[in-house]
Amino acid sequence: MATFIEKPRYSCALGGALATVNALPRTVPILHASLGCGGMTSASYNGGSGYLGSGYCGGNSIPSSGITEKEIVFGGVERLDEQIKNTVEIIDADLFVVISGCTAEIIGDDIPAVLRDYNENRDDKAPVIFTSGAGFKGNSYYGYDAVLQSIFTDYVEPASAKVKGLVNLWGIPPAQDVFWEGNLVELRRVLESLGLTVNSFFTDQDTLDKIKGSASAELNIVVSPLHGVAAAETFKSLHGTPYIVSPLPIGAQATLRFVNQVTAALGVDKSKAASLAEAESRSYYHYFNRIVDAYSDIDLQRYTVVVGDATYALALTNFAVKELGWIPYLVVITDEVTEDQHEGIRKLFEGTIAAPGETVAFQTDTSLVPDLLFERWPRPDGSLYYRLFSPAFILGSRLDKDFADSIGAGFLAVSYPVSNRVVLNRGYAGYHGGLHLTEDIYTAILQAR
Amino acid sequence: MNYLDRNAPPTRDERLGACSAFGGSVCQLLDGSKKGCLGGNGRAFAQSTGCQLMLSLAIAGTIPEAVVVFHGPVGCGSCLLSMPGLSRQNQAARGNADSIGQVWFSTNLNEQEVVSGGEAKLEATVREVDRRFRPQAIFLAGTCVPAVIGDDIDGVAQRLKGQIAAKLLPLHCAGFKTRIVATAYDVVYHAILRYLLTDEEETREPILDDEVKRLEYDARKKRTVNLLNVASMSRVDEVELVRLLKALGLEVNIMPCFSPPSRFVKAKDAAVSISICATHDDYFVEHLKELYGVPYILNTIPIGTDNTRKWLLDIADFFGIRREAEQLIAIEEAAVKKALAPIRAVLQGKRAFVCAGEIRAGSTAIMLGNDLGMEVVGVRAYHYDKYGDVLFDSLPDKDNLPVNVASSQPFEQVNLLTKLRPDVYLGHLGGNVWAAKLGIPVMPIFGPLNSYMGYKGTFELASRLERLVRNPAF
Repeated sequence: MATFIEKPRYSCALGGALATVNALPRTVPILHASLGCGGMTSASYNGGSGYLGSGYCGGNSIPSSGITEKEIVFGGVERLDEQIKNTVEIIDADLFVVISGCTAEIIGDDIPAVLRDYNENRDDKAPVIFTSGAGFKGNSYYGYDAVLQSIFTDYVEPASAKVKGLVNLWGIPPAQDVFWEGNLVELRRVLESLGLTVNSFFTDQDTLDKIKGSASAELNIVVSPLHGVAAAETFKSLHGTPYIVSPLPIGAQATLRFVNQVTAALGVDKSKAASLAEAESRSYYHYFNRIVDAYSDIDLQRYTVVVGDATYALALTNFAVKELGWIPYLVVITDEVTEDQHEGIRKLFEGTIAAPGETVAFQTDTSLVPDLLFERWPRPDGSLYYRLFSPAFILGSRLDKDFADSIGAGFLAVSYPVSNRVVLNRGYAGYHGGLHLTEDIYTAILQAR
Repeated sequence: MNYLDRNAPPTRDERLGACSAFGGSVCQLLDGSKKGCLGGNGRAFAQSTGCQLMLSLAIAGTIPEAVVVFHGPVGCGSCLLSMPGLSRQNQAARGNADSIGQVWFSTNLNEQEVVSGGEAKLEATVREVDRRFRPQAIFLAGTCVPAVIGDDIDGVAQRLKGQIAAKLLPLHCAGFKTRIVATAYDVVYHAILRYLLTDEEETREPILDDEVKRLEYDARKKRTVNLLNVASMSRVDEVELVRLLKALGLEVNIMPCFSPPSRFVKAKDAAVSISICATHDDYFVEHLKELYGVPYILNTIPIGTDNTRKWLLDIADFFGIRREAEQLIAIEEAAVKKALAPIRAVLQGKRAFVCAGEIRAGSTAIMLGNDLGMEVVGVRAYHYDKYGDVLFDSLPDKDNLPVNVASSQPFEQVNLLTKLRPDVYLGHLGGNVWAAKLGIPVMPIFGPLNSYMGYKGTFELASRLERLVRNPAF
């Protein structure tokens, strides 16, 4: 049984699906859900995702059937049909995605039938596909995976042959990863520098035409141990493209591993990759070099607590250890994962931290994070030589700031929600992202100067 | 009015015949309202809005020492992630202890519980919330899913009563129940009336046998008012209104927003309830009158000098101190008029469009015209009911002034703005972006720090408008 959660750090499937569809090029969602589902979930992401904004047709512009009591009793397919027909008249887009909410699914509206009817008679109007977004099926990450699966199933055209050097990249859920666009753009840049052609689906360099042709990719790259993996399975079974799962790479060392993993999977010339990586590394450390004086003079090593989803927890911990020389004392993974997934996720931390079994915890509830730390570090006991958990720094979400304040730790909000920062094209992935993260962490530490 | 024998209040559609879809002139709107033939609510093309659940947080989410449990799937309530840091600041501004901070839970209903029912999970959640935080009150906010599958949240509250320390307040706010999202206020007040006012006699002001103390208490009660605040006003606004009421020799209880659960019982011990917004409070003040004999004033909102004057005179008439109020008003108006003069010179003749709840939209439009010499070219209200009539009746050029009643629906607003091309747009929140993207300078009239009400608010809003038109480049 999924348990109750204090301050869940995600919205529901509908919220995740909505953010995902809004991030696709020239694509507009149509909600078939209770009046309010669109407002509720887009509010979560507008403020909570670094002021994401309404974009082209998000926020309170999202077309919505707005299910009321009448539809609950008599069924909502007619209302949906009317909403679809009027939406395609009014809104200029090349693809529409109907996302269902809880009420539509409980009352059992036959949405595929409505869409079949529309698509068969749509003439030159834009196609409409369907994603189930019922909140009781899962959270935002589930919604992200569900949209990708719908796209791969109902929009991407089967390809007769693979195109050499074409890869698809995902695993970064728009909005739920606050730095999604910057992350995708940077990883896209890194992959392109290897001579690859990249579909990243959600950046302004992506187009629906290319997404439609993504079945001819020779490799799918998922930069998350959890999110987007189900979609990669779907893609593989439908279009035969294999996939690799990589941690979200942040900083020079992690990105080099990422590049090596990709080139190994593609079987391409490693020497070219190596020389490119070396040039990138040289440039990265050229800038990184600047912090060495301050680090050495002021002592910028920290104990750290990392709180976030599995993707960020893994990536940030690795960065803190390998690039900053920090000491993670506690890593809290806030995803809803089952007990039998724990071992596998802990294993991913091997080679980064000494004892993942002790350091990595799974907890969805914000107020229980302090207890997790003090199970690992003695609570103040009043003795003269009590060793403070200091100097410390928390890499978490905005929800973790109170905890950081309570133990006098530095703090940067990276994982969702991030309501105290504005994020435009900032990303933390790759080489450029590693430099940004270094800047942001040390800016937070040194801001009193 | 007394609906407290019901578990849930009636919707505004049912109780007031409120309308959320209208396009036409102010005159036609008033005509329809007076004949009772508005009430249009359907749309063939609809855009997303908020829901009762979301708006219920405008009261429930502000109560310190309380926890909200969202009984539903994990996304219901996630809007609170948009500004989790602000709560602490807002509570501190009111001097509240806020010992547990802003806490909410989701029962995180899954597919299996949709089939088998979620009451057990709600019960387990509430027990854990009580154990972990020991709040004074726990709101049990029922969403669409439990409403459809038939979970009995009142039954759960009843079963737990006496077993846990916190007061349990069921909120019936399934989004699909009404298009008039403001029903949410009735839902929260309903729970407050049922659970925070009725069975807490022991915490009321003690009526002592001591004759002197009793006289003192009675004297104080006679000049104490309930000032009903709203979440979309700032502490600065509260301070301004309290200043004016104190100038009339009154004492003020501020509620419901940011009021600890234990303070609500004081509502019974006031001479009168003063609402600043009928959309927000009519349900509460009617019940206070019916059940506890506390009369109310809710004709207008103190926005702009005209309506602030009306608001103060209504209150003064109740207490029989009209002459004192007129003196106060004369001094205040003279001062603010002088301060506004240079700003008025800049804003004179600029064309404005206003979008907000019916009461605020109407009063702001009047202020822009009368105080600032601006021309209001269009008004948009989230919904419309009889409480808008007085304000809308005093708008200029009623035959031609276009009005659109719609909660969100940016498509309708974009069409209207494209035709009207105002110099400036004043909006509540959420929809402002669609005016900005048409290149129209936007002034948000809602803000937790903005001054907006009373004389000070008139001056501050005018100042902000003058600043806006100085560089509309954004």
